[in-house]
Amino acid sequence: MTAWATASLLIVVTPLLGAASGLLLWGHPRMLKVWGLLVAAASFLMTCWSLGSLPVAAGAFPHLLLLPLTAFLSLLGQPAHRSNQPAWLLSLLLLGFGLGTFVGEGPLSLMCLLLVLALVGLALAVHHVFPGPAAWWGIGTLGCGVLSLALALVAPSPVSSLAFLVGCAIALPLVPLHHGYVAALTALPGNLPAFLALLLPTLGFHGLEAALPELPDGPAQAAAGLALAGTLYGSLKALAQARPAVLIAYGNLAFLSILWWYLAETRTAPSPAAVYLSAVGLAGSGLLLAWYALCARYGDVDLRALSGLARPMPRFAVALSLLALAALGLPPFGVFSGLVGMLLAPSYAAPGGLLVIVIVWLCASWYFFDLPHRLLFGPERATLRHQDLRGPEAASLALVIVILLMLGVMPSRPIESAPAPLHPTATAEFPAWTK
Amino acid sequence: MQASRTPSQRERLAFVFWGLVGRANQASSPRKAVAPDMSLSILVPLLPLATVFLVLIGGPATQHGRAKLGVVPMAMAFLGAIATLGVVAAHGSADLRFYEPASVGRLALPLGFRIDRLSAVMMVLIAGVGAVIYRYSVGYLYQDRDFRRFLALIGFTTFVLLSMVSSANLLMLFVCWQLLSYLLYLLAHNLSHAATLDGAFRTFTLLRVGDAAFLAGIVLAHSLYGTLEFDELFLRAAEAPGALALAPGLELSGPTVVTLLLFVGAMSKSAQFPLHIWLPRSLYAPTPVHALLHAGIINAGGFLLNRLAPLYGLSSTTLHVAFVIGSLTAILGAAMMLAQNDIKKTLGFSTIGQMGYMIMECGLGAFSLAIFHLIAHGLFKATVFLNCGNVIHKARHEPVLPRVARPSEETELSRLAWATGFVTTLLLPLVILLVAHGILHIPIRDSQGAVIFLFFSWVTSSQAILTLTRLRAVASWKVSAAMLATLLLVVFTYLFAAESFTAFLYPDPTELASYFHAAALPTPLFDALVATTTLLIVLGWVYLYARSHGRTVRVPAWAERGQAHLYVLFLNRLYLDEIYAKLGLAVARAMTCLDRRSWGRTG
Repeated sequence: MTAWATASLLIVVTPLLGAASGLLLWGHPRMLKVWGLLVAAASFLMTCWSLGSLPVAAGAFPHLLLLPLTAFLSLLGQPAHRSNQPAWLLSLLLLGFGLGTFVGEGPLSLMCLLLVLALVGLALAVHHVFPGPAAWWGIGTLGCGVLSLALALVAPSPVSSLAFLVGCAIALPLVPLHHGYVAALTALPGNLPAFLALLLPTLGFHGLEAALPELPDGPAQAAAGLALAGTLYGSLKALAQARPAVLIAYGNLAFLSILWWYLAETRTAPSPAAVYLSAVGLAGSGLLLAWYALCARYGDVDLRALSGLARPMPRFAVALSLLALAALGLPPFGVFSGLVGMLLAPSYAAPGGLLVIVIVWLCASWYFFDLPHRLLFGPERATLRHQDLRGPEAASLALVIVILLMLGVMPSRPIESAPAPLHPTATAEFPAWTK
Repeated sequence: MQASRTPSQRERLAFVFWGLVGRANQASSPRKAVAPDMSLSILVPLLPLATVFLVLIGGPATQHGRAKLGVVPMAMAFLGAIATLGVVAAHGSADLRFYEPASVGRLALPLGFRIDRLSAVMMVLIAGVGAVIYRYSVGYLYQDRDFRRFLALIGFTTFVLLSMVSSANLLMLFVCWQLLSYLLYLLAHNLSHAATLDGAFRTFTLLRVGDAAFLAGIVLAHSLYGTLEFDELFLRAAEAPGALALAPGLELSGPTVVTLLLFVGAMSKSAQFPLHIWLPRSLYAPTPVHALLHAGIINAGGFLLNRLAPLYGLSSTTLHVAFVIGSLTAILGAAMMLAQNDIKKTLGFSTIGQMGYMIMECGLGAFSLAIFHLIAHGLFKATVFLNCGNVIHKARHEPVLPRVARPSEETELSRLAWATGFVTTLLLPLVILLVAHGILHIPIRDSQGAVIFLFFSWVTSSQAILTLTRLRAVASWKVSAAMLATLLLVVFTYLFAAESFTAFLYPDPTELASYFHAAALPTPLFDALVATTTLLIVLGWVYLYARSHGRTVRVPAWAERGQAHLYVLFLNRLYLDEIYAKLGLAVARAMTCLDRRSWGRTG
């Protein structure tokens, strides 16, 4: 067995074995949490160690590192409670299959992606927090993704490509196939939403990188159109929400649709696109973690039911403010750097779609900023007993912020993939520059 | 709109192009090689950060001592800025970049400093005002619950402002620009006051409108010219401006689109109509914050236009838009100021009006004059704000005496008063025009900007005379003569100062002339504007003069009614707050409706 095959196998098997052996600790939530953290940390270290020998492009390095790291951070702030045990084990399973999607080749990679979607769908069917149509729409969409990927495994070339594209469009959400992503972020328990906020789009992006060169112009243009519509749809939906988890999910949908549009329009995936994806996913994860820290104290309440937390919960206030700033695209965090990097990349030549992107970016300043503004300021609720973030909660949020900051300022060259575009750059017919 | 390609426009492009080539050659001349090392000048923006750390790190027991110690880095930054200005004036500009486009270690955000005359002048203003405001705040905010927060914010805002004015490229400038938006939100923030919270949120969202336009502007600029480095950008834009077809038959030149978008950014920061409503909303913030806001932050728009003057010089359309927006803001700001009954709101609208003047000056191509104006206004407004608390305090405690009864109508007007008015309104401007033309060699016939400048001088000086006349200060020949002499001295000093400042900031007369040419309005329109404004001003003076002397002035009934309506309109700030609030509510309702009707709703 070659070195890269051994490394790949170890990276995939470690979290899967960790999840399986975690069953032995079932009923001991504190020990199980520590075990989950150890497995995620081991997975991270193993990925770091074998990064050079893995058969992946340099552009995938941040994602490979961020997946175990996000799993670790999402577990770190969790209260040790029995009800969270399934979510922790499922996180490890998803981490294993997610890493398998990156390091696996051909059908194996596809199979791993299929298993991730299937597991998320299954988790939704077994345990969704809010009963209602949203979860069922999500299950349906994820089921559609599983079928598409299964078709991609067995069907001949043009059909398999399109089926694979549908699968990617469910992981990296593209309207109208976004329900799976929204449901995963809003209806699953424990740390799963925070982890899936990064995992699903990352896997979809990785798949798209491979699928774009073979994509015919028609579907690519259709995808670009849908993505532009999705950016507006996500923003408008986010503006109307009073429940933070839903707001974050639709906000992320809007930002990820920008990425979809960019990929379909330019047919390139420059390194800022990878930074942007990581930052959007991570900012969503951080916001969800912060929100679930509040849920652990006050339950899943409406935004209007809480206010004035800035003074009694200063650590939470600082963390939430910084995360919201990162999510809405303020410098020096990664979302801003990634977005500007994409728009200033040589592959982006035409101004088509810029107006929509700018509007979406502007809307985010409203809904993402409204989140800390409503929660942190205003009158203090004297009837509530406040408790600031505990050590592990604060540590997990602080680490997310540090990573977002690093994504925003780190040199981009070391993670650049092969410079050649995946397809000749498409130019928008209208409006067009006359140089 | 079709971009016209007249010979004069080509001439203008050539002006700017050769001006820039000259500047680039100057930068690479051997003289620069013997210039002293300017790397220490980056300490000027960094020193206020030391103040921030001093204030934030440590326990509450020593916080006041540490806050006092924080004055030292702020004062050192000011002294450093003065030294930088001296070095720049003597040895030329320098670029300090911490990135190299071809380097592997390129940072995502390109950090670099461009220390030239414009940035050095702005650094002196910001560091000076920042140091004074910080020192004042140490005493003013003593025992305030948010003592440390506000002091740290003042230090950090000074750091961001200094970094912004010394940015080496458009992207770094944009990063600082956005940080300022958020800092304004934090500065205008009072956790315990609901109205302030609401105002702070709206301030941020409104400023983000400008940020969004700015982003679009830099993306288009990069898309067109392939760079965001200032000199390179200006050169490429002058060489190949490009065009954008918005619709069949509707084509705009590249510089016009880019500068228009960037101008929206400047409008938001400099509180231009209709994006001005954030400024009066932030008036509940502590007094030192106001001083910093009105003396430093709000000048960002004027600075941006000056920094990108060569790009703006390529687009007559944008300069004309800036002139219109600036004029409108100046008129509305001044009108709303007159109708306010609160000292802080009055000062706030006064700032809006002054910012309107500043943008109008840029729209006329008088970029250096705008900087001169913003420095003068910044120093003046900072002083006024730092002192307004005392005025309010005194007004609340000193007894108000009843008005002294005066006869309602005078039998005759003093001849002396009429003579002074005549000299002021007719002879004085003529003397100024002749002297300016003869001694200062200002090309009055060719330069609309110079005419406008003299026009302002005339209006300002005559307004001062009128005010004194209304106060019945012109009671004797001695007073009248002394006043006229002083006024002449002030006006000529102002003229000389402005002229010298212009020569300092824009030493190349070709470049300067190109801006005036680009900003020139069609002659008949310009003449009509000047004539109409003059007529209105003189009529206004006659009306006010007569009223102040107790004369009855017959005004048509419709005009009286109109005046009352206008007063209510301006008192309520054109109802713009209510209009925006209704607009926001309508959008929120539409969003909720969409959310309820869409598939897979999650509510």
